[in-house]
Amino acid sequence: MLKILGKRLLSSLAVLFVVSLITFFILKWIPGDAAQLILGTEASQESLEALRESMGLNEPWLTQYGNWLVNLFRGDWGSSYIYGESVRTLILQRLPVTFSVTIFSMLIAVPVAALIGILSALFKDSPIDVFSRSIMQLGTAIPSFWLGMIFMIVFAANLKWFPVTGYVPPSDGFLSFLHSIALPSIVLAIGELGILIRLFRSSMLTALEQDFMQSAQVKGLSRATAIVKYALRSAVIAPITVIGNQTAKLFGGTVIIETIFALPGIGRLLLTSVEQRDIELLQGIVLFITFMVVFINLITDLLVAAANPLICLETGGKD
Amino acid sequence: MKNKKPKFSVILGMVLISIILLLCLVSFFWLPYDPDRMDTANRFALPTAAHLLGTDQFGRDVLSRIMVASRSALLVGLCSVSVGALIGLVVGAVAAMSGPRLQSLIMRVIDGFMAFPGILLAMMLVAVLGKGQINAVIAIGIFMIPSFSRLVYSMILENKTRLHIKAARSYGCGPVRIVISHIFPDMLPRMVTQFSSSIGGAILTESSLSFLGLGIQPPSASWGMMLSEARQYVLSYPFIAVAPGVVLLIAVLGFNLLGDGLNDRLVRKGVRS
Amino acid sequence: MSAPVMQLKGCTVEDARKNILIHDVSLEVGENECVGIIGESGSGKTMTARAILGLLSRDLKLDAKEMTLDGEDLLAMNPRQKRDTIGKKIGFVPQNTVAYLHPLIRIRSQIADGYQKAGRGTKKEGEAKAEKLLALVGIHDPVRVMNSYPGQLSGGMRQRVNIAMALMCDPRLIIADEPTTALDCIVQKQVTELFFQLHEQYNTAILMISHNLTMLKKYCDRIVVMYAGQVVEAGTTEEVFEHPSHPYTKALMEVIPRLDQNPNVPLLEIPGYVPEKDRGRSSCLFADRCPNCRPQCREPLQINEEQTHFSRCVVQA
Repeated sequence: MLKILGKRLLSSLAVLFVVSLITFFILKWIPGDAAQLILGTEASQESLEALRESMGLNEPWLTQYGNWLVNLFRGDWGSSYIYGESVRTLILQRLPVTFSVTIFSMLIAVPVAALIGILSALFKDSPIDVFSRSIMQLGTAIPSFWLGMIFMIVFAANLKWFPVTGYVPPSDGFLSFLHSIALPSIVLAIGELGILIRLFRSSMLTALEQDFMQSAQVKGLSRATAIVKYALRSAVIAPITVIGNQTAKLFGGTVIIETIFALPGIGRLLLTSVEQRDIELLQGIVLFITFMVVFINLITDLLVAAANPLICLETGGKD
Repeated sequence: MKNKKPKFSVILGMVLISIILLLCLVSFFWLPYDPDRMDTANRFALPTAAHLLGTDQFGRDVLSRIMVASRSALLVGLCSVSVGALIGLVVGAVAAMSGPRLQSLIMRVIDGFMAFPGILLAMMLVAVLGKGQINAVIAIGIFMIPSFSRLVYSMILENKTRLHIKAARSYGCGPVRIVISHIFPDMLPRMVTQFSSSIGGAILTESSLSFLGLGIQPPSASWGMMLSEARQYVLSYPFIAVAPGVVLLIAVLGFNLLGDGLNDRLVRKGVRS
Repeated sequence: MSAPVMQLKGCTVEDARKNILIHDVSLEVGENECVGIIGESGSGKTMTARAILGLLSRDLKLDAKEMTLDGEDLLAMNPRQKRDTIGKKIGFVPQNTVAYLHPLIRIRSQIADGYQKAGRGTKKEGEAKAEKLLALVGIHDPVRVMNSYPGQLSGGMRQRVNIAMALMCDPRLIIADEPTTALDCIVQKQVTELFFQLHEQYNTAILMISHNLTMLKKYCDRIVVMYAGQVVEAGTTEEVFEHPSHPYTKALMEVIPRLDQNPNVPLLEIPGYVPEKDRGRSSCLFADRCPNCRPQCREPLQINEEQTHFSRCVVQA
C-alpha cells in the first residue's frame, strides 16, 4: 500500500515537473517579452534594458526557469501587469466561483448519469436504453456555449427561473448563491452526462455479466436483491476514478460557461490573460489549473485504493 | 459477420456529415447572398422566403454565412486532426520502439500534455501563436497529438509481443519496417475510428476558440464566432442563436456517430478475428 | 435405484440462430447417488448443468420433455418459483473461483444470504452454520475467512468457501462443474476428496462434471458420456469403464495416459473434430470419426432408451 502511494506520488510530481517545463517554455515563445508588454512598443531601448535586467530576463532561460520555480515554492507566483496585482491574489479571489460551479455541476451530473446509465444497462435495448444512448451522443456533441445561450433565453429570460447572469457570493446568502450558479452548473452537467452515462452503463453491464450474479441466482436470491446487493456494488466502484478525472477536467474547462454567464471565475481570468498576453498571469493560471488536475487525480486514485485494498490483490487473479 | 446491416447510428452519422459536406460544396458554386453584404434596414429578420434562416445584427444573410463558415470548420477539423494524427503517430511509434529511457521520457512528456484539461492547452498556444485560422489549426493539432500518440504507443506495445512480430524481428526486420509493414495494418481500424471522432472534437474546439474570440477572426465567418456575436443580442432576438448552433451540433454529432459506429464495426470485429 | 432426486428428459438447447447446442439429453441422479458426466470440451456438459440450474443466457432456448427436482416439476414453475426451488435444493460449485464470490463483499455477508432467503433461519444462525461448514470443508480458522474478502484467499480456499456455500441449505443435490480445474494438483486432490467425504457423510446426491476420468472412475456410481451435445453412453461406472459399448467411449478409455505407458509410444488421440453444426440430426454424430463406421450409421438411429446401460450406437447395441 505504501509502495503504491509512493509510486503514485512520484509519478504525479514527475507530471507536474513536465507541465511546469512545458508551460514555461511554450510561453517563452511569445513574441515580445514581459518588459516590452509592460512598457509598450513606444518605450526607449534604455528603459527596456533596465527593466529586463531588473526582471531577470537577461539571464539564461534555464536560470529564469529555476528562479521561477523557486519563487513558486516561496508563494510568489509573479504579478499581473494588466491588473497590477499579485497572480496569487487574483487566482485565489476567483477560485471559489470556479470551484463551486465545478463541484455543483458534478453533484448534479453524477447521480443523474448513474441513474440513467444503470437503468439503461438493466433494460438493455429497451426504449430507456435508446433514450440514454441518445443523451450520451447529444451530451458529448452539444456545444456548451450554445446550450448555455439557449438555456439562458428559455429558463432565465423567458421563464425567469434563474437570474440571467451574475454571481452572488455565499456571504450574501447561501440560497441566492446557489440560485446564481444553478444554470451554469446545469449546462456544465449536461456536457458531462455523455461520458458519465456511458461509463455507468458499461460498468453495470459488466457487473451483470459477472459470475457472482449467477451465484446469487443459484442461491435463490431474487433478481432485485442480486442487483442491489451484488451488481450495483461493483458497478459504482469502477467509475470513481473517471469521475475524479472528469471533475479535474471540468475545473479547467469552465472558461466558456463563465464567459456566457459573466461569472468572475478563473476561466474569465484565463481568457483575459490570453487576450492581453499577460505572461506571468497566464503561467500562474495554467500551472495552478494543471496542479489542481494532477492533485485531484492523485486524491481519487488514493481514495479508490484506500477504499478497496483488494484491487491490487484482485488483479493478481487466480493463483 | 452477423449484423451485416449497418447500424442506424452510422447511417444517421453519414447523413448528418453529408448535410455539412453539401453545404460546404454548394458554397463554392452558389450562395444565396454575399455573406458579407450588410443590409441595415433588414436586421434581425426572422426566416422568410428571401432569407431562409433570417439575418444577423448587420442584416447579413445567416444561411450564406453558415455555408461559408462550413468551409473553415471542415478545413480546420480535417487539417488539425491530420496534423495531430501524423505527429502523434510518429511520436507514439518512436516511443514504443525505442529503449526504456527514451520511452519513459517521451511518455512523461505526453502525460504532461495530457494533464492540461480541455481547451487550456489550445488557449495557451493561441496566446503564443496569435489568433487566426492557421494558428487555430496548429493549436488544435498540437492539442490532438497526445491522444493519438497514446493510442499508437499502446497498440504497438500490445502488438510487439505477438509472434509474427517476433518472427519478423528474428529475420532481421528493422523497427521502422516492422511498424510500417507489420503493425500499421493492425492499427489502421482504430486510427480511422479515432480520426473520425477527433474531427468532431476538433470542430467543437475550433468553434469554442472562435466563440471566445481566439480562433477565426472577422470578417471571416465561423459558427462559433456567429454565436459569439449573437450573444449580445440573444435576449432580444433569440432566433439568431439557433441556426449556427444547430449546424454545429449536426457536424459534431455526425462525426461522433460515425466514429462510434466505425469503432463497433472495425475495431470490435478486429478483436474477434 | 430409488426415486430420482433430479430427472431430465429430452432436453434440447438452441441458440438464437436455431443452432442446436445440446440435443435430446436425458439424465437422472438418484438418491445418494454420485453421477459423473464426461466428455470433451464443447460436448455440452456445462450447458446441460446450466440448463438444469436455469443459468442459460437469455438468447438460448430451452426445451425439455421432463425436468423434475426432488419430485417437483421445474418446467411448470414460473422463473421465481424455479429460482426458489433451486436455491433450496441444489448447491452449485463452479469451475471458476475468481468471480463466483463477489470481490468487494466479505465472505460473511455473502455466504449466508441464500440461507436467509430460503427461510432457514436468521442472519446470525446463517453465519453460525457457515462457520461450522467452513470448518467441515477443512478451513482451520473459519472466523478469519468469514471476515475476509475473496481476493485475500487462495484459489483452493475460495473453492472450499464455494463448497461450504453450496451446502448452506442442506441441498438434495450438488452440481459441480469441473470444480477442480482452476486449482493446482495437490489442492485438486484435496478438494475432490472433500466432495466425496461429504457425499458419504451427508448422503447428498452429486452430479460431477469433469475431464478427469480416473477421478470419476474412483468415486462415481454412474457415468454419463456426452459427445457433441448428446448423451452417447450411460451406465454404471463398471459398465462404462469395463465394458464400454459406444465407440466414442472406447476411444476415450484408450486415450487415458497410464503410468506404465511406454514413453516412446506417442499418446493416442481421437482423430477429427467434434461437429459443431447439425447436431439435431437423428443419425450418429460420431460416424465421421468412428473407426468402426458402417453404412447403417448414416441412417436415423433406433435406440432403446429404457435400457440401464444406454448406448447411442447401432453397431454395438
